[in-house]
Amino acid sequence: MASQTPAVVMDNGTGYSKLGFAGNDSPSFVFPTAIATKAAGAGGASAGRPPVGNKPSFLAGGGGAGSHLSAKRGTEDLDFFIGDEALSAANGPGYAINYPIRHGQIENWDHMERFWSNSIFKYLRVEPEDHYFLLTEPPLNPPENRENTAEIMFESFNCAGLYIAVQAVLALAASWTSSKVTDRSLTGTVIDSGDGVTHVIPVAEGYVIGSSIKSIPVAGRDITYFVQSLLRDRGEPDSSLKTAEKVKEEYCYVCPDIVKEFARYDREPDRFLKHTVSAPNGRSVSIDIGYERFLAPEIFFNPEIYSSDFLTPLPNVVDGVIQSSPIDVRRGLYKNIVLSGGSTLYKDFGRRLQRDIRHLVDARIRASEARSGGAKSGGLDVAVVTHKRQRHGPWFGGSLLGQTPEFRSYCHTKAEYDEIGPSIVRRFALLGGPGSS
Amino acid sequence: MPAYHSIFLEDRDVPVIGNFPVLPLRTRTRGPAYTLPALPPTADTEVPADSESYDCVDEILSLFRANVLFRNFEINGPADRMLIYGTLFISECLGKVKPAMTAREAEKALINVALDHFAIPGDVSFPLNQAFEPPRDRQDAETLRQYLSQVRQEIAVRLHARLYPGGVGPSKWWLSFAKRKFMGKSF
Repeated sequence: MASQTPAVVMDNGTGYSKLGFAGNDSPSFVFPTAIATKAAGAGGASAGRPPVGNKPSFLAGGGGAGSHLSAKRGTEDLDFFIGDEALSAANGPGYAINYPIRHGQIENWDHMERFWSNSIFKYLRVEPEDHYFLLTEPPLNPPENRENTAEIMFESFNCAGLYIAVQAVLALAASWTSSKVTDRSLTGTVIDSGDGVTHVIPVAEGYVIGSSIKSIPVAGRDITYFVQSLLRDRGEPDSSLKTAEKVKEEYCYVCPDIVKEFARYDREPDRFLKHTVSAPNGRSVSIDIGYERFLAPEIFFNPEIYSSDFLTPLPNVVDGVIQSSPIDVRRGLYKNIVLSGGSTLYKDFGRRLQRDIRHLVDARIRASEARSGGAKSGGLDVAVVTHKRQRHGPWFGGSLLGQTPEFRSYCHTKAEYDEIGPSIVRRFALLGGPGSS
Repeated sequence: MPAYHSIFLEDRDVPVIGNFPVLPLRTRTRGPAYTLPALPPTADTEVPADSESYDCVDEILSLFRANVLFRNFEINGPADRMLIYGTLFISECLGKVKPAMTAREAEKALINVALDHFAIPGDVSFPLNQAFEPPRDRQDAETLRQYLSQVRQEIAVRLHARLYPGGVGPSKWWLSFAKRKFMGKSF
């Protein structure tokens, strides 16, 4: 049975969960990592009444207790929604929304277990005993979290086999689809920019260099806020967050130089665009789109124009991360800078990043050549890899590795787990490393 | 990539008053500035940087929309002080132009700002006295005031041309920068 079924790939991120099967091009389900549960103390509260202010059951008295009996233990455990359904349920009464993952790590295991159970049975509709599972974890995830994950996967769901991979490593694997990548190495620098935060993660031969990871408080949400502030400054008729997000996703790109870009807008008025926002009541307003097209992503390269407390441009952060990594892997890290996540999708983002990092590197080489008095450097190759799978990079990398014939031999099986216990998942052989196809 | 600096930093032997440069201007207003040749009448508002008529006002106007977004600016020489002064003055001008003004009204408002009584470096009400030295004596102060008056009028005239391209406007693309404060300062 289990020998023919494809592996299930689940990438649970802070914002969104990506679920699907290995070998596929894109995840089957992408929805918010959110779970709506019966609000605490709601018990048998009648619909429409807010759940607050209810007395605990032991104070409710005899009459009240009867209606609470069913809530004591039983069905309320099953009364929850995940994903988009959770968001809409939380809009109504009686449900509270929870985000079980914070900063990439699972915080609420009970909620996560229920989230997974719904993901597997309600969305993917698979029998876990027939499938191997590939899950992802953030860099620097404590081994205890892995053990907890394994406990849930094997004991609650009885899944056939489990592999837990680091997201950054999978993002590197996802870049193998780019025509620019020839040697399929697992060495490189991953720039992972989602909605909340941007990480720069150096990976050497499949292992994350934990001490050099840097994160930047500038990511998708900040770009949206910045677009919104530009729309407001201009007094556009609609400047809601939703509109700003649309503008960001549809019109923004990265320019080589903002002064030249301003002059270009003066010369070519057709660069100004119009965007139509249709309100739910059927009316629609048209807003003008202008400088925010290139100014918004510019906050990665000039954070100063947006925030007053974080001022280091992304290229400088990347350069700093690589410089703080061991000297023998730096060349590989510069040569393979891989983008991942929705906020790296702007046109020419990779090109600008590559140019700026190259400027920094060349300036340093020139300075050290001058100091050494006549020695010539062979130069350093800086390459930023842009590819088609950036949006769901880690998931796609998992799909790629999960379909290889030797994937199962890297997993820990249910039998092995029963034999050794949860500590077995502290170590995994490196998938996609040297020696595998 | 920090804020943009002036290309006139490279020009040596620019006379200075205090530490404010007296750069040449392309202007019809009379004053102490060395006058550059006027543009041919058909020329664009955008003057190429290698033209002999390119002056610091052209530069201030082309860098304004980028630089005004920045809060930090390192002064690398006298020419950067001109850039700061001009940028702050444009912000002041944009504050005076209201979205409903016609080209004629805005022109009047802008000329009024330019000719109004203004503070020069060293005056108590000048906001940037940490970075700008006061002129040495009364006479220098008077020259600086006349020079700045030339600069202000020239900026006002050329800014007006950008705000009302072809006589229609004001351009909301420019007015949207009115609230931003370069270096967190304003006149």
